[in-house]
Amino acid sequence: MRIADIINQDGDKRCFDAYQKAQDVQGKLNATITFIDPKDQLEEAKEGKLYKIPVAVKDNYNTKGILTTAGCKILDNYIPVYDATVVKKLKEAGAIMIAKSSMDELAMGGSNLTSIIGPCYNPYDLNRISGGSSGGSAVLTAANVVPIAIGSDTGDSVRKPASFTNTIGVKPTYGRISRYGVIPYASSLDHVGYFTNDVKDAALVLECIAGRDDNDLTTSDLPVPEYSKLLNDDIKGKKILIFKNVVDVIDNQDVLDGFNKVVEGLKERGAIIEEVSFDDTLLKAILPTYYVIANAESSANHSNLDGVRFGHRIEGEDTDQIMINSRTAGFGPLLKKRFIIGSYALFEDNQERIFRKAQKIRRLINDDIYAKLKDADCLLAPASGKPAPLIDNDKDADELSNEY
Amino acid sequence: MESKEYFKKLALNLMFEISDEEAENIIKEFATFNEQLNIFDEIDTEGVEEMVYPFDVETTYLREDVPDHYLTKQEALSNVSKEVEGHFVLPRVLK
Repeated sequence: MRIADIINQDGDKRCFDAYQKAQDVQGKLNATITFIDPKDQLEEAKEGKLYKIPVAVKDNYNTKGILTTAGCKILDNYIPVYDATVVKKLKEAGAIMIAKSSMDELAMGGSNLTSIIGPCYNPYDLNRISGGSSGGSAVLTAANVVPIAIGSDTGDSVRKPASFTNTIGVKPTYGRISRYGVIPYASSLDHVGYFTNDVKDAALVLECIAGRDDNDLTTSDLPVPEYSKLLNDDIKGKKILIFKNVVDVIDNQDVLDGFNKVVEGLKERGAIIEEVSFDDTLLKAILPTYYVIANAESSANHSNLDGVRFGHRIEGEDTDQIMINSRTAGFGPLLKKRFIIGSYALFEDNQERIFRKAQKIRRLINDDIYAKLKDADCLLAPASGKPAPLIDNDKDADELSNEY
Repeated sequence: MESKEYFKKLALNLMFEISDEEAENIIKEFATFNEQLNIFDEIDTEGVEEMVYPFDVETTYLREDVPDHYLTKQEALSNVSKEVEGHFVLPRVLK
């Protein structure tokens, strides 16, 4: 479903239809945590660029007065008192939210198997994962419930489910879109991202939600162009680099064939295709570097989830016990594992050797990629090395892996 | 290799408890994690500054000390499970 497919329908009807369809597919896909009746929003809809376009929003976005769980038990009763900036901007553009979509707990997973409502299923094959952590948003877009769904991406949580569900997943540059009101995972790695079924829609969404926000001081001051007006299909002379290290380790022939078809198509349209290789050791360091930084930041970020002032409180004989009881019951095993490893990296004895070392390697990785990309327009690689895994085979989806 | 007790204690420092099974799983993952950390030793970071944010561009400014952005008392209390006369309720600290 693209915006163009529904733009001539009655605005109210298409939103009610989307709201109904989200419920109709729930049994099969399990993509939604909270359904939002669009009636009130429709009455106040602003005449913006997304006027009465139905959208889904990942459940880690604070939505005033509407349950926001971040897929996690400890927030299963949390009702925010404010809207995230992205939610505010969607409203200003006239968009209508019809669902808070399913996600891995606190966005810390890659399969959407760890959500409080259980697994999210791939509409292309119900035996396969949708990918995560923005699985619900990917699925609602792929299943043509909505043309736009907001997600978030820290370590490919938009890109991977997009790849697994044949949707367009956009993770813009860090700082392009405000993270204010997005329940965090790792503040230096989190990005607002989203799904569409059409590149034109993707450009339109970006110009509606991007921009400087003083409530998120990591946002960029750079102006937001009208991206939708910049689209053209002329790529003659554009320099596209193929990520050789990634392509070389893929052995799935379908993926390679599909990728090569894209490359051939780009060549025919006049793009200059070259291969680029990055330092192999630095590439192999990406996963542990990410893992250390992400989980260290996350364990600190979520130290406020304690059931005392908000969230699912389990009573205890003193405040410490309330926190322990609430956090023990409220966090799944994957979360606990990541918090523990993250916190381990922050111990005084380990900080220099693990956490700060990771931050230094981060700079080296950045520098290497930047140096090789600065004369190119685009770096191209398959987003995943194989199709969406079968759910039964993927029970260990979120275990730390040594496989490249 | 760190023991189950080590990780259970670490968990408690983070204000949650883990089961024996969860501790076993962590030990396994920790082994993989440590293996991966070996690659850190192969990379020379002498003289390299930590990269804390994805960019080194300055985007943080101080603003005037004008009240702008706050929760009302009612909003702040709206998610607590026990509230009495505008206060969060917790068990007695002094017994």
